[in-house]
Amino acid sequence: MRAKLFFSEAWRSVMANLSTTVAATMTVLIGMFLLGLFIALGTWVLSWTGEVKKEVQVKIFFDTNATQGQINSVGSKLATFPEVKSVKFVSAADALTKMQKQYPDLTSGLSGNPLPPSYEVQPKTAEQVVELAARFEPVPAGVESVKYGKKTTERILQVAKIIGGVFLIGSIILLTASVILIANTIRLSIFSRRREIEVMKLVGASNWFVRGPFILEGLICGLAGSIIAVILLLVAKEAALPSILGRIQSPGDDVSALSFPLIALILVAVSLVVGAVGSGVTLRRFLQI
Amino acid sequence: MAGNGAAPDQRAAGAPMIVFESVTKIYEPRVVALREVSLVIDKGEFVFLVGPSGSGKSTLTRLLLKELDPTNGRIIVGGRELNRLKRSKVPLLRRNIGCVFQDFKLLSDRTAFENVAYALKVQGESRAAIRAKVPEVLGLVGLAHKTGSLPDELSGGEQQRVSIARAFVNHPPLLICDEPTGNLDPDTSVGIMQLLYRINRTGTTVVMATHDREMVDKMRRRVIALEDGQIMRDERRGGYE
Repeated sequence: MRAKLFFSEAWRSVMANLSTTVAATMTVLIGMFLLGLFIALGTWVLSWTGEVKKEVQVKIFFDTNATQGQINSVGSKLATFPEVKSVKFVSAADALTKMQKQYPDLTSGLSGNPLPPSYEVQPKTAEQVVELAARFEPVPAGVESVKYGKKTTERILQVAKIIGGVFLIGSIILLTASVILIANTIRLSIFSRRREIEVMKLVGASNWFVRGPFILEGLICGLAGSIIAVILLLVAKEAALPSILGRIQSPGDDVSALSFPLIALILVAVSLVVGAVGSGVTLRRFLQI
Repeated sequence: MAGNGAAPDQRAAGAPMIVFESVTKIYEPRVVALREVSLVIDKGEFVFLVGPSGSGKSTLTRLLLKELDPTNGRIIVGGRELNRLKRSKVPLLRRNIGCVFQDFKLLSDRTAFENVAYALKVQGESRAAIRAKVPEVLGLVGLAHKTGSLPDELSGGEQQRVSIARAFVNHPPLLICDEPTGNLDPDTSVGIMQLLYRINRTGTTVVMATHDREMVDKMRRRVIALEDGQIMRDERRGGYE
């Protein structure tokens, strides 16, 4: 009974104050659309840097005449290091096959195999690559060199760190801005109706009786705005993304943004909470009659 | 309020409707609106509060509704001590006090019917009860034919009748009127006063703050005159001066 009454009161006030309702809904829509876009873009970039970081590895090249014993001893040593995630042995023959595949012209005239066998060692995190390389200082017997692309690695790590930071700060700013903007719009709509609230209180309406419809109204605006934002994002994703992505070389199939349903859920939840809490908090001031 | 509504002729019997015990109200920092005011109003009385602007009439009515709390002193309305009344119980208090204001305070986007119905809705009255009570009380104030009109479509006198209907629809034991005729022409005011008089005769205590000298002199009811926050005069069958 009471819920029905709240809903009919909320609905009547939505219709009676259509312009402020539309303004609040549009504010939610714009804020949530931008936030959604940013989350999608940000998580995609983070996932991309993650993928790039995975390619950071230490390569241990042996002398071409290294004995099997020397190779094995390095292999068993690797197994004891805590930083190591996986080790792949590339024999001289494997190296040649790979080379032939990549550069058929260069390798066509070769009589023998000039390539050494090697270990490709992947560290648990990209940052550990330096420590890992340091463990082979000085190089053990039979090892010709230990390489990890010092400059490239450092560059990748630095860029990844900056991108992560920018994404985090940007999200916080955008989230704060939308919350403040939405709360402000709600505040304006309530402020324009403070006389009405005063009358309600004077005829004996309890605080919850006044608050109920307003909060419900905030929820309706939040829901409507965020759903439209989600629909727009979906359209953008389906229509615009493929033509853009066609031009960007994707470094791996594992690169992806946060899943769309999850982003949609976040947006709707944020709007609902902001709508309801924004109305409730703003009302407090006007209820003290 | 305190149990059964008192019958018209039991004025002196039982507990009084309103008791002020040396009530002082100071608006910070140092505006004294009421100074040590003590008074008793019995059930079923019709009382005029008179005095120049700023004499404390409005403060007194707002204290009765617990819109304000007194700085000092005790206020008892219908057996409830307002100082001890919890915030959450204030709506209950107000449902037992009808109020009528100079500026009507109607909800402008609702019809006469809906404005009156709102006072019933807030206390969870059923739809059937609302449909029965609202036309009845609108008929009582003489607006049976205007139930579907918005406040803007009504004259000042009609709007005030709607607001009286809203105040009276619960049949509260106490009706507080703050300058109900302040915005109305003399002829319309007479109609409003007759309405309030009829409501008073059903046993409802009426407290009316007013500037309307002529009306007070004609009615010959109890008059409490305030000046500078103090009671200057309290007469059983008084005039404005």
